[in-house]
Parts: sequence; structure tokens; C-alpha cells
Amino acid sequence: MSELKEQTRKKARLSVYFNKRLASYYWERLKKHKLAMAGLGFIGFLILLAVLGPFFTQDPTYSDFNIANMPPLGFSRQESVYDIKTDEFTTTVISGRLDHPLGTDSKGRDMLSMLISGARISLLVGLIATGIAIFIGSLIGVLSAYLGGWVDNVLMRFTDIMMTFPFFLLLVLIVFLFGPSLAIIVVVIGLTGWTGAARLIRSEALSLRTRDFITASRALGASDGRVMFNHLIPNVASLIIVMSTLSIPGVIMAEAALSFIGMGDPLSTSWGTILNAGQHTLDTAWWVAVEPGIMLFLTVLSFNFFGDGLRDAFDPRAII
Amino acid sequence: MSDAILKVDNLKTWFYTRRGTVKAVNGMSYSLNKGECLCLVGESGCGKSVSALSLLRLFDSPPGRIVEGHVLYKGVDLVNCTPGHLRSVRGKDIALVFQNAQAALNPVFSIEDQMLEQIKVHYDINNRAAIAKAQTLLEEMMIPAPERALKMYPHQMSGGMKQRAMIAMSLSCDPEILIADEPTTAVDVTIRAQIMHIFRRLKTSRNMSIIFITHDLSLVREIGDRVAVVYAGKVVELAPVAKIMEEPAHPYTRGLISCLPDISSNLNRLPSIPGNTPNPLDLPPGCAFHPRCSMAMNICSSNEPFLTGIADDHMVACHLYNARAGENK
Repeated sequence: MSELKEQTRKKARLSVYFNKRLASYYWERLKKHKLAMAGLGFIGFLILLAVLGPFFTQDPTYSDFNIANMPPLGFSRQESVYDIKTDEFTTTVISGRLDHPLGTDSKGRDMLSMLISGARISLLVGLIATGIAIFIGSLIGVLSAYLGGWVDNVLMRFTDIMMTFPFFLLLVLIVFLFGPSLAIIVVVIGLTGWTGAARLIRSEALSLRTRDFITASRALGASDGRVMFNHLIPNVASLIIVMSTLSIPGVIMAEAALSFIGMGDPLSTSWGTILNAGQHTLDTAWWVAVEPGIMLFLTVLSFNFFGDGLRDAFDPRAII
Repeated sequence: MSDAILKVDNLKTWFYTRRGTVKAVNGMSYSLNKGECLCLVGESGCGKSVSALSLLRLFDSPPGRIVEGHVLYKGVDLVNCTPGHLRSVRGKDIALVFQNAQAALNPVFSIEDQMLEQIKVHYDINNRAAIAKAQTLLEEMMIPAPERALKMYPHQMSGGMKQRAMIAMSLSCDPEILIADEPTTAVDVTIRAQIMHIFRRLKTSRNMSIIFITHDLSLVREIGDRVAVVYAGKVVELAPVAKIMEEPAHPYTRGLISCLPDISSNLNRLPSIPGNTPNPLDLPPGCAFHPRCSMAMNICSSNEPFLTGIADDHMVACHLYNARAGENK
């Protein structure tokens, strides 16, 4: 096989999945969806923050007890100390300082750098775990729909069994058994989160499979693998993209929840970890819990809006 | 016949459904000669399309299964050859043209993508050569501005263009046999004339062997060399076109031909064959046509007639002729 052929083949393979004209058409449609664009804006901001933030902020694990529980910029808090000699309360007012614009937690760690670290973790977990889940889900869905018969039966019953596991309990159990490392958490979320994707893609591929163009490509001598990956998957590509976008928030929430109950990676600072630390000081230093809460809220909302927008943009019947 | 390149022998494709066994193809036999156009004619639901799909094992399995019979091509039985061999035959030796081009083209790829994929599966040539090949094929199909047509997506083409692009795609690996499954049903008369012209040219210029599936006898007269009349999954009459038109032997064939509108006669009502095609779940015993046959005899409802020759190139499966052949002996 000549090198030229190999190259053109690669190019052709790529063009199977990406088409410039179509992409710009979808972009135009997406642009009309205000909330989706806002979501995309926030996601972009978050990515920028996660990538560039660590270069400008201090180490999120550095603690200084002298400046513990410092409020964010523009807020202040009163601290009363009982003096046993004078039998009096001396009240000092602590207000936010510019060097810790979002305040500090009870151990004097900078909130801003912790939140940025949390953004990195959340995005990393969200993207990788969703990637794994969608990959497995599409593979199982397409295989099951295309091959049918007993393969379909076995794969779908396996999916059913996976669905019956209480997902979070399984997560806790595996983290308990194998130790709380970020890699394990990501892989486990990925390995358990594909069931919905598999079902949806199977149902879509089932209806595509009976279309004539699939029979036609088989009639022209295409192998099963070629039919599945070159004809079925590109036809469900929009579904896959929308589904991955919409499943990212769930994954982010799962990681945060795991960290919140103390089963997260102790070596990394995620939003869940900060929330966990903040719940004990909710009455005095409310910002420690509120700030990661707001970040989680906005992130999940952004991905959901963006996913909705994508779905409408890909749906030719949707009126935008 | 000595120069038959494809021989179908007692082919039975049954579908096992929850409601029972659908005997879509039920003992079909015919052979195809080099450079010949064999027409499979019959009503809707008589098993024409399934028989075409069966040749390349393209029907859904399960529920479908070839329970009996052979499809001999170049000395290999396609019914029980390896999947790998079958795949190399598909497209390269035997190609299929579908009825509905709109559905048979992948909507998310341009014509070029689809044609190149196909060419590259079977030939080891580079991109430029493949594009050139695709262009000449489209030219042969009389598609104007083939280089522009290559860049088009199926939804950007007209129905006739799609159908012709489909045929070009089927021809892209120079198959020996072309199976055309009602290629003109979904297009209008002018396009139909063009497509028939293309098929005629294929026969003369490429010496292509064609299995032409249709329910339209006027097309048969136009392109066919021999006709196999199919009823309830069986060939009931097999003869050269002229013979079928002039002296149809089987009562069903006679019925079909009398149904052809004749422009010279002044009838108010077209004749039709009484009754409907039999339910393939529950075929009548004996000859499947006997409930609708005006010449049915006692034997027809109990014994199944077999294809027997009444002339050297004329075969028919009907007790009328079996009986007569018996009398003559």
C-alpha cells in the first residue's frame, strides 16, 4: 500500500466525522440559542480558568492559620474573643483583603486557588469519565443493534444488570476497596455510566439498520465493522455529541458528591472537598461552602444549557 | 444451459416469525446466462425482492433463513460459502441496484465519499485514480457535470440523479451480474426511459448479465431476453420474452398479460385477475394459484406442479401441461 494512499485514506476517514460546511451550519443554529451560548461562554471561561489559573494563584494546599476564615473581598466578619482577665469580649472586625479575593477557609487556605484547582478536577473527571462512558456505550449500542440476535440479547441483559446496581453505592464500594485515587474514580464512573448511552444508541441504530443504505453497503461488499463504524456511527454522531454534553454534569456531580462524603482523592482539592470542609463552618465562614456550591451550580447549568442547545441545533425539525 | 454463469436451484428462503413461517421464496429455480437479461416478474409480495436478496444472503437473519437450495456462481455455492468469500462476491461480482435510491444512499456522506469507499474496498488504487473512475462512471450514467455531482449529498440530487448515482455505485467494481430490484418504480416516466436506456447500454457495451426485477410487463418487453414469472415464491413459467408475450402457457401469466392495457382497444374496464396474492403465512395446498385459477382441476388443490418443459426453451409449472404431456406419452 503506497504512502499516498494511506494519507488520503486517513484524510477521508477524518472527513467522515467532520464536515466544514455542516459544522458552520450547526454553529449558526447554535448561535441563536442564547442560553446555550451563555453556557458555552461559561464553559470556555472555566476551561481558561483551569488551564491558566494555576500560573497566577498560590498553592491551593498552602495553609496559614493566622489568616484563617478570612471573608471574601467586600465582606467582613466580627470575631469576639473572651478575655479571662478582664472578663470582657474583645471584638475585632476582619474584612476581606485583596490578596485573598475570595477569602480563606478555616485552615487559612486561599479560596480562589482552591476553586481553580477544583475546576481542573471537575473538568478532567467530567471529560475523561464521559469519554470512557460514551465510548463503551456507543460500542455496545451499535454492536447490539447491528448484530442483533443473541449478541443483542446478551449485551442488553448485561446493560440491564448494570443499570440495577445502585450507581453511587458501587462507586463508594470500589473506592473503599481500591483506595481513593482520582484515576480510579474516573475509570469507575466511566465504566458504570455507559448504560443509558448504550440503550439510546442501540434504539437509534436499530432504526437505521433496516434502512436500505445499510443493506446497500453490505451488498457492495462492506464488512460488518465498516458498516458499523463508517455508516452507522456517523449517522448517530449528533446523538453521541448531545448525550456526552448532557452526561458531563452528572459525572461532575458524582465526583463532587464522592468528595463531599470524604471518599474523594485526598491529594486533590475538588469542589466537593471544599464543600465538605465548608459545612462545619457554615455559621461563621459561609463562603467556604457557598463558593464551590455556586461554581458547581453554574457548571452543571452551563453544560445542560449547552447540551440542550446542541440538541436543538442538530435536530432538523426543531424550530429555532 | 452450458454458459449459465449463475444457477439458482430450488432456493427456499423462509422467515420464522411469531405468527408463523413466511415462505417468501419457496423453491425457486432459474439460471442466468452471460450477457442475458432475465426478468423476474410478479405481483407485489410474491418473493421477487427476497429472492434477489437471497442470492447474496442480504436478508435479515434471523428471522430469515435459507432452508434449502443452492446458488451456484463460478462453481461456488453462495448459500453455504464462507462470509469472507460472500463479501468478496458482493459488489465485485454481483451488484445490487435498489428500488429506492433515496433510502439506499447514506444521507450523511457525499456521493464521492460513498463511491470512493466502495472502489477502495475492492481495488488497491489511490485517491486520484478512484475519483477519475467515479467520474467516468457518472458520465456513463449520463449525469451532467459529474465532478460537481460527486460533491453533492443525496438530498441535493433529484430522484433520477440519485437512481443513476446508485447504478454508478453498483457498477464501480465492474460486476459480472447486476441485480436490479425494481429500479424504475420510484421515478417518473422520463427518468424511467433514461434508466432503461442505461440498462440497455450496459447489456450491449459491457455484455452485462442482468437480473431485472419488475412488475411492469412493458419494461420486460423492452429489455428482457427471458422472463421468469414468479408466483408465491416460485417460478411458474420461464420462457423467452417473445414467447411469453405471444403464447403464455400458465393461466397466471395469461392473466398478467391480459391485464396489460391495450391502447388500440376501447375498454372501459381493465381486466384483472380475481382474488389476491395468497397469504405467505398460509399458502394453499397444491398449486398456490389454484384458488384464483379459472382452469383449476381437482389435482391442482392436492398436488404441487413442477417446472416441466413444453418446448425446448419454455418451461411451465402447471398441471394442464403435465397432464397433456402424460396423455401424449
